[in-house]
Amino acid sequence: MVKEIERAGIPVVHVCTIVPISLTVGANRIVPAVAIPHPLGNPALSKEEEKSLRKSLALKALKALETPVDGQTVFE
Amino acid sequence: MKLELGYVPINNIQFGQETCITGTALHVNADELATILREDERITSLEVDIARPGEEVRIIPVKDVIEPRVKVEGKGGIFPGFMSKVDTVGSGKTLVLKGAAVVTCGSIVGFQEGIIDMTGPGAEYTPYSKTCNLVLNITVKDDIERHEKEECIRLAGLKAAKYLGEAAKEAVPSYVETYETPSLIEGHEIYKDLPRVAYVYQLQSQGLLHDTYVYGVDAKRILPTFIYPTEVMDGAIVSGNCVSACDKNTTYAHMNNPIIKELYSRHGRDINFVGVILTNENVTLADKERSSEFTSKLVEFLDLDGVIISEEGFGNPDTDLIMNCRKIEEKGIRTVLVTDEYAGRDGASQSLADAHSLANAVVTSGNANEVIVLPPMKKIIGNHEAANVIAGGFNGSLKEDGSIEAEIQVITGATSELGFTKLSAVGY
Repeated sequence: MVKEIERAGIPVVHVCTIVPISLTVGANRIVPAVAIPHPLGNPALSKEEEKSLRKSLALKALKALETPVDGQTVFE
Repeated sequence: MKLELGYVPINNIQFGQETCITGTALHVNADELATILREDERITSLEVDIARPGEEVRIIPVKDVIEPRVKVEGKGGIFPGFMSKVDTVGSGKTLVLKGAAVVTCGSIVGFQEGIIDMTGPGAEYTPYSKTCNLVLNITVKDDIERHEKEECIRLAGLKAAKYLGEAAKEAVPSYVETYETPSLIEGHEIYKDLPRVAYVYQLQSQGLLHDTYVYGVDAKRILPTFIYPTEVMDGAIVSGNCVSACDKNTTYAHMNNPIIKELYSRHGRDINFVGVILTNENVTLADKERSSEFTSKLVEFLDLDGVIISEEGFGNPDTDLIMNCRKIEEKGIRTVLVTDEYAGRDGASQSLADAHSLANAVVTSGNANEVIVLPPMKKIIGNHEAANVIAGGFNGSLKEDGSIEAEIQVITGATSELGFTKLSAVGY
């Protein structure tokens, strides 16, 4: 899906846990996520901590979206 | 470490007054077994049934298959960490009821259990159609968590296998195989001209009912470690998985791991089979990186020339497979990978979720997405409706006449990544 949307000219940020797979399939902007069963959250954290984690992931993804890249880039 | 496996052949299974072996027939006192299993108060109903090779019987949904064995000499007992204490196993003598199996059946997750047909086209895809099966159809209390249901059925299967195994305690095996692994230095001195080869054994450990146990320890909590291959033959590795049926490694397949057997058959002849490195398949990138770092470090530390790596499951574990391969190859040590494929129903899609140019020697055990029609069976043990929801099936898989159209993914052990299957692939 990442590749097809980009083919249509729209930049995509792939937020995913297993970065090597994302690199293999050819995503250009990659933001590492938390874990496969809960990519965008962490049930071990308190509600407040988790909210802050989720916000930081969303902000990082938005930042990646507006960053020009030259080839595949992982936003650690 | 040296283990003798004494094989007691079983060609028939039937209910009887006493649990014993006469000739090659296994008699089972179902009431006595049921009483032992029902000591676990979480079990609300238990049916003990029998399915023999060639019978028109379908078992669905299958959770695990276990081989009955009993230790008669040497340290420890079968299934250490569960049915025995945690003494190191793998030495002495173990008797195997060859041809008998315990099959556990009962819905846990409802979408990741399997099918065993005892006859017809489906039977060709599963090694467990050739065994005399004691089937435990178990229902567990509703008000407990799913992982507790899994534990309950897992323990019932192990208890039954241990119970049947003990019937062979006095039996005289018809043949004996001996497996021996010397210490590292001794082995190096004996086989100094042979390439040093080990087996990197990936265990499913994604959690959420995707677990494997090593001496009772959940494999997601281990760091990669080194064991004698014979430990596995005494049940050191136990499956606690509810993953796609075709490529989950049943406890039976672990105990009979054909990669270990094949490496032993070449041991001292054209390789020095040094041992087994156990590793896991966890769900965070850091875990995958750490485990592959430790695995490749052990491979280097043991001064190996080559390794065989097997996978369990598919999807993100493909990354563990490729990471292990890449990190070991980058040290100049050769790897061969054993996996299966999810290449789509037409076989045209990318087979693995991850890939690398260093993965240049790969053995496949088949395409799990191939579609098969399983004809109706006279007798169903379990719940036939599960065919519509298990992985590889779809709504409408179960037809009115009792046939099932589904991917071979639904068949227990069809594309075993330990090679415990007849399937492979050929390039044209």
